[in-house]
Amino acid sequence: MNAHTIAVTVVGGYLGAGKTTLVNHVLRSSDERIAVIVNDFGEISIDEDLIVAADSDKLTLANGCICCTLADGFAAALMQIRSAGTLPERLLIEASGVADPTQIAAYGHTPGLRLDAVVVMADAEQVRRQANDRWVADTVRMQLTAADLLVVNKIDLLDDSREADDLCDWLAGLSPGAAVVRASRAAVPIDVLLGPRSASDAADTREPPTPGGAAASRWHVVEDLFESQTAVLDAPVPMPVIEALLADLPDGVARLKGLVQAVPAASADDSSGTDAADATACLVEAVGRRTSMTPHATDPTQPPPRWAVSLISHKGSLPPTWLARRLHEPK
Amino acid sequence: MTAARSGRNDENEPFVIYPARRVITVNPAFPFGEAVAVSGDRILGVGSTDELASWGKHRIDDCFANHVIMPGFIEAHCHVMSGGLWNSTYVGYFDRRDPQGLLWPGCTSIDDVLERLGKAAADMTDDSQTLLAWGLDPIYFPGERLVARHLDTVTGDRPTLILHASGHLATINSALMDRCGIDETATSPGVARGGDGLPNGELHEPAGMMLAGEAFADMMKANRSEQARWRYANEARNAGHTLLTDLGTTQLWDPDQLNNWKKVTSDPTYPARVMVAMSNLFGATADPAELAELCVKLKSEQTDKLRFGIVKLILDGSIQGFTARISWPHYYKPPPGHIGNGMWLTAPDQMADLVEPYHRAGLTVHCHCNGDEATEAFVEAVEQVLERYPRWDHRHTVQHCQLTTPDQYRRMAALGMCANIFSNHIYYWGDQHRDVTVGPERAARMDACGTALASGVSFSIHSDSPITPLGHLHTAWCAVNRVTASGEVLGPDERIGVPDALRAITIEAARQIKMDAEIGSIEAGKLADFAVLEDDPLSVDPMALRDIGVWGTVLGGVLQPAQISDA
Ligand SMILES: [Zn+2]
Ligand SMILES: [Zn+2]
Repeated sequence: MNAHTIAVTVVGGYLGAGKTTLVNHVLRSSDERIAVIVNDFGEISIDEDLIVAADSDKLTLANGCICCTLADGFAAALMQIRSAGTLPERLLIEASGVADPTQIAAYGHTPGLRLDAVVVMADAEQVRRQANDRWVADTVRMQLTAADLLVVNKIDLLDDSREADDLCDWLAGLSPGAAVVRASRAAVPIDVLLGPRSASDAADTREPPTPGGAAASRWHVVEDLFESQTAVLDAPVPMPVIEALLADLPDGVARLKGLVQAVPAASADDSSGTDAADATACLVEAVGRRTSMTPHATDPTQPPPRWAVSLISHKGSLPPTWLARRLHEPK
Repeated sequence: MTAARSGRNDENEPFVIYPARRVITVNPAFPFGEAVAVSGDRILGVGSTDELASWGKHRIDDCFANHVIMPGFIEAHCHVMSGGLWNSTYVGYFDRRDPQGLLWPGCTSIDDVLERLGKAAADMTDDSQTLLAWGLDPIYFPGERLVARHLDTVTGDRPTLILHASGHLATINSALMDRCGIDETATSPGVARGGDGLPNGELHEPAGMMLAGEAFADMMKANRSEQARWRYANEARNAGHTLLTDLGTTQLWDPDQLNNWKKVTSDPTYPARVMVAMSNLFGATADPAELAELCVKLKSEQTDKLRFGIVKLILDGSIQGFTARISWPHYYKPPPGHIGNGMWLTAPDQMADLVEPYHRAGLTVHCHCNGDEATEAFVEAVEQVLERYPRWDHRHTVQHCQLTTPDQYRRMAALGMCANIFSNHIYYWGDQHRDVTVGPERAARMDACGTALASGVSFSIHSDSPITPLGHLHTAWCAVNRVTASGEVLGPDERIGVPDALRAITIEAARQIKMDAEIGSIEAGKLADFAVLEDDPLSVDPMALRDIGVWGTVLGGVLQPAQISDA
C-alpha cells in the first residue's frame, strides 16, 4: 500500500440502522487517525467526548482529524481534511439514509484515496419491513446489494437465534458475496470493520517460523463472534495460489489482509522458494466479495517487511490452520 | 411591511401617470385600465388618466402610451446559477438570450457545438485559461455521442470542459484529461470509457466530475459571485420579471453568501426583487429547527428587494434523468441497466419530521417533487404535520408537480397546498416524455394546469432556470398551448386559457411565496412592479404569446428598460 493513500470506508444503510452509532464506535475504538465526512450535520451526532472543537462547517475530533459535511461537494470536503494538519489514515464517509452506497463509493477512486470497503448497516428488527415498504423497498434493497460488509445491527432485539439465522440467510441471499456480520449497538470488532491493523503488526505476533520455511499460523478469538488466523510466509507465494485464494473465499470470511511476495507461476516450482528477485511485493485484501491485489512499494533502505496474511472469520467456520494450508500447500 | 416607503407621504412631489395601450391588472374587481399612477415606489391607482389626475399634483409620462402594462412577472422557481453559468460558453440545443440581451442560437448538431467551441477557443487570449461551456443535452443527439476526441479537433491544447444541461455529467477534452491525470489507469466508475476501453472524456456524477479539478470547481464558484447575481436579475428584467426566487442554491448560514445578496440588492439600480429560500439541500450546519429559527430571523430583517420566509426541500430526481420517483408502472423505456424507479433524495418517512419545524415557525415549505410518488410523500407529510400542529394558510407548495395525479390535486386543495407546475417541460422534453420516459398516456397529463385549476389548487408555472430559459411569456405559452419542440400538442385537455396563465405568472406566484398583499397585481397601494409589453397577451393569437416583445420592467416605480443587443 502506498503510504500516502487514505483508506476510504463508506458507511451506508437506511435511516435508523445505526450508521451514526457505528461511526462513533469506530472513532472510539480505532487507533487510526480517522477523518469523517457526513452528508449533513443535522443527520449525525458525533459523541461530544470525541469532539474537541466545533466550527460552523467542521468539527475537530479528539484524534486530530476533522469531521466535515458534503455541503460544498466532496472536493471541498477533501481539501478541508487535507488542510486540517494531520493527514488521516482513513476517511469514513457516512452516506445519507437514502443514498446509493455504490455512488458514494465512487469517491474512493479519487487520486490519493483507496476504497477499502462499503459497510452497509441493516436494522435487524426493521429491515424486512423496509425491504418491502411501498416507497423505499427498492432503495433499501439497492443499499443491501452494495455491501461488502453487511452489518445486521440490533440483533439482540430479535426473539431468538433462529430468527437471527433466518434473517442473516435472507440478507445473504439479497446481497450475494457480502460478508454478513451480526452486531448490537453497532459494536462490530474494529479489525472486521477496518481490516487487521496491518499485515506487519500481525506478523509481529507470530510464533517462531517452523524450520524449512513453512508457514506458521496463529489462532485466537477476536471477540465472541469472530476469530482470526495469521499465516506468516517465509517464502514467496505463486501468483495463481493468491488468485485462487481470493477468488474462492469461504462464506465465513469477513476480512483478509496481508503482504506477500508474489512470484509468477513458473518460479513456484523453484525448490528454494526464495528467489526474491522474481518476486513482487503485493498487498492482498478482501472484504466480502471485494478483493484486490495491489503492488506494494518497499523501501530498500529499510529492513524488509514481515510477509504475512491475516484473516478474520466467523467463529467455528474454518479450521485454525486453513489459511496457512491454502497458502503453503495449494491443491 | 418592513421598510418605510415613500408612497404619498411627500405631497409636494408630483406623482406620475403612465397612460398605456392597456393596463391588465389581474385584479378581477378592476381588470383593465387606461393608465396607472405611480407615487414613489407604489401604485397610487389604476383607471383613466382623468380619474387618476384627480388625486392631485401629477405629471403625465407618455413613454408607455403604445405598450401594455401588466403586473411584473414573478418566477417562483429558479436558481442563481442562471446568472453564473453565463461566465461560460452556451452550447445548448435551444436558442437562448444571455443577460446582456445577446441571442445565442441553439446548437442543433454536434458540429454546431464544435463550431461554437472552436470560436470560443480562438477568442481566448490567456493561454492558461480553461474553456468552460454549458448546456449540452445529448438527449437531442440520439445515436451520436460528443466525446473528447471530437473536442480535441477544435480546442487543441486548451483544456476544455462542458457541463451538461442535466448537471450530472461533464465532457472534457484530452488536454484537460492529461492535466488531471485521467488515463487508462483510472479506476473511478465516474470515468466513462469508449468502445476502445479508454476514457472518452465523459465524467459522470459529482464523483467523476470532481476529477476535472479546478475547472469544475471554478464553474461552481462563478455562481456565488456578485456578477452572477447581477446577471441573474438582468436576465429577469429583460424578460419582464420583477421578482425572482433563489430556490435552494444559497447557503444562507454562510455569512459571505448572505452578505453578497444584501450587497447587490441594496444597490438601488439592482433590477429585481429576490426571495431567497432557506435550504438544507446541499448540507447544513444545523438541524431543521435551527434553520427555521435562522429563516425567521432573516425574515425580520428583510428589505423590499431581499426577501425571506420560504424553505426548499427536495424529495426525488428528474424525469428525463430517470431519477424521479414514479409510481407503477414506473418508467416507459428506461435505459438498459436502469433499476426500475428513480431515487429518493430525502427519505419519505423522514419528511414529516423535516417539515414540522418550518411549519411551526410559520414558514412556507416548497418541496421539489417531479414524480407522483414524491408528491404523495410530501402531501402525506403535510397531512401528518397538520394533524400535529393545525395551521391555517400555510401555502406549502409542491414544486415541479410534473406527474401529480388528480386525486393528489384534490388532497392538495383540501389541505390548502399550492402547486408550482413545470410547464416548460412540455416544450423542451415533451417529445421525450411521450416516446421514452413515461409514455403517451402519462405524458398527456404531465404538468396538469387544467386539473390544478379544476381542483381549485392555487398554482403558478415556472422555468427552473437555468434548467430551461427564464421568461414567463414562454412559460405561459407552454401552459396555454402544450406544444412540444417537434410541434405536437401534448395533452390538449390540460391546456389552460391565457387569462388563467397570466394569473399563474403573477398573482398566484406571489401567493405561494406570501407576497400577494404587496405584488402580483396592479392595485392601489401595491408596489409599482410592472412588466411592460409591446403587445397585448389577451389579444394576440395564443400561439404568438411567447413572441411578444418586452420593453422592460418598472420596479418599485423605477423604469428598467430591457437590454437587447440584437434587433
Ligand atoms: Zn427541483
Ligand atoms: Zn429547481
